[in-house]
Amino acid sequence: MSRLRLGITLVSLLAIVAIIAPLIAPYDPTVQLDLATLRNAAPSFAHPLGTDLYSRDLLSRLLYGARISLLIGLLAVAISVSVGTSVGLVAGFSGGVIDIVLMRIVDAGLAIPKIFILLVVLALWEDVTVAVLIGILGFTGWFGVSRIARAEVLSAREREYVAAARALGAGPIRLIARHILPNIAAPIIVAATLGVGQVILVEAGLSYLGVGVPPPQPSWGNIIRDGQDLIRTAPWISTTAGLAIVLTVVAFSILGDGVRELLDPRER
Amino acid sequence: MTMLLAVRDLTTTFETADGVARAVDGVSFDLAEGETLALVGESGSGKTVTALSILRLIPEPAGRIAPGSRIEFAGRDLLSLSPRELREVRGAEIAMIFQEPMTSLNPVLTVGTQIAETVLAHEAASKREARERALDMLRLVGIADAESRLKSYPHELSGGMRQRVMIAIALVCRPRILIADEPTTALDVTIQAQILDLLTDLKRRLGMAMILITHNLGIAAGIADRVAVMYGGRIVEVAPTVDLYREPAHPYTDGLLRAAPRLDGPDRPTPSIPGSVPPATDWPSGCRFHPRCQYAWERCQSEPPLLEAGPARTARCWLVDEPARRKP
Repeated sequence: MSRLRLGITLVSLLAIVAIIAPLIAPYDPTVQLDLATLRNAAPSFAHPLGTDLYSRDLLSRLLYGARISLLIGLLAVAISVSVGTSVGLVAGFSGGVIDIVLMRIVDAGLAIPKIFILLVVLALWEDVTVAVLIGILGFTGWFGVSRIARAEVLSAREREYVAAARALGAGPIRLIARHILPNIAAPIIVAATLGVGQVILVEAGLSYLGVGVPPPQPSWGNIIRDGQDLIRTAPWISTTAGLAIVLTVVAFSILGDGVRELLDPRER
Repeated sequence: MTMLLAVRDLTTTFETADGVARAVDGVSFDLAEGETLALVGESGSGKTVTALSILRLIPEPAGRIAPGSRIEFAGRDLLSLSPRELREVRGAEIAMIFQEPMTSLNPVLTVGTQIAETVLAHEAASKREARERALDMLRLVGIADAESRLKSYPHELSGGMRQRVMIAIALVCRPRILIADEPTTALDVTIQAQILDLLTDLKRRLGMAMILITHNLGIAAGIADRVAVMYGGRIVEVAPTVDLYREPAHPYTDGLLRAAPRLDGPDRPTPSIPGSVPPATDWPSGCRFHPRCQYAWERCQSEPPLLEAGPARTARCWLVDEPARRKP
């Protein structure tokens, strides 16, 4: 099976699980079923992955966690790719002072470790919701994409077909929309695909540190956190969530590589 | 004859690491309605920069058209147009096609889309009308099975077909002038002839004027009404095609003609012009050709103006004044 097919298959499976989570999850992921008898229950027929400290069904939490992780990954990447591509297009196409100013901002953005920015912002932000998380991850994640977009624009705008289109009266908007954007799309799509996995990883890290998805909403990161004190007695809690994260990141990596192969003519 | 295009004292300079390059230096010429003018010269003589200057496609700020230059098209001063007005001229009034049909087409858009794009850029046409026009154009430039070719991508076409598509894109808005920059250089010889025939035919049918840029005097002879020979950023000779070939007035033109290999000529090594075109940052003083000229004498230390060299022809050479010196 080609990488592309494998990637599409894995990501589709994840997406399907996320979409139909309410149908296949045996319990409500946030309900504490029975604090007296069902705390840290081992896997059983009723609870295939056991329960956690608060007697919530772990399988249900894991399935709903897929929803939140994928939602955050996709939407945050959608934001960062839109912003990054726009900034890169403007910088690369205008050149001069605009380019210099924008790229220095990008340099600054790339120079500061993102996890610190995220920790500070999220720690100071009262009342973090999933929407806030998506926004913050999206608007702090576009620097790399803008670099890629700018570099591609710089080479694309020197192509002869751009000169030819300009010679035949195409204005800047038409040049960008019809001649430059379609020709720089491939590396941006690849970066976006790989980016989803990365954002999911960052989100899991933040949730693990307790500043991400607010409890009791399930996220793979906070499931790991919930399970870390019980890693000796109930290792399935952290490990299943960890495996879900690994699988997801690997799936998006494979898909990204597959898309790269598909779009890069040299690989054909 | 009414003058469609009048270029006067066009000077285009580029900032380079070696100083200011005067790539085009005081070029003047006219183009009449329906006329074909060939701009001929070696690489680096300023032909392409002249063409790009007419469309104001010189990359600024490194390149710049010097003040005092004038380019008038149908009574309008192209050098004073706003970017928006310029875009309306480009493609609709004056169109240009380039040397490399391989790279002048956008690889990710279909042929039909690319032709339609030019229509949509200039006219208030619907997408459907633009597509109809694209189809008509493909038929006009002689592409077989035009209907299905509309949906082809450039990589699915041969070099000759791509150049036909380029011509279709350039002509879809019926410009009054077509500037063709080495339109056949990248093509096989048999395809070259077809493309040149096509250009001649279209020019007649659409009643447009054409500026053909080439280094190949054979191509110029085939389709041009007049030939302007460029050397060192200047026009050194202008003459009706037949006269130019029969009796070149400038030693450079003479050298170019002799340097062209001939199938029907005597079996001898093809003579070449000694030396090469000097860099545009460092033109020789006096006549720019004199360091390479076999006739050069003291008078060539000062540059001749374009001198009357016969009916409707001029040459920038003192030999026109002193023809006796031409004898070897």
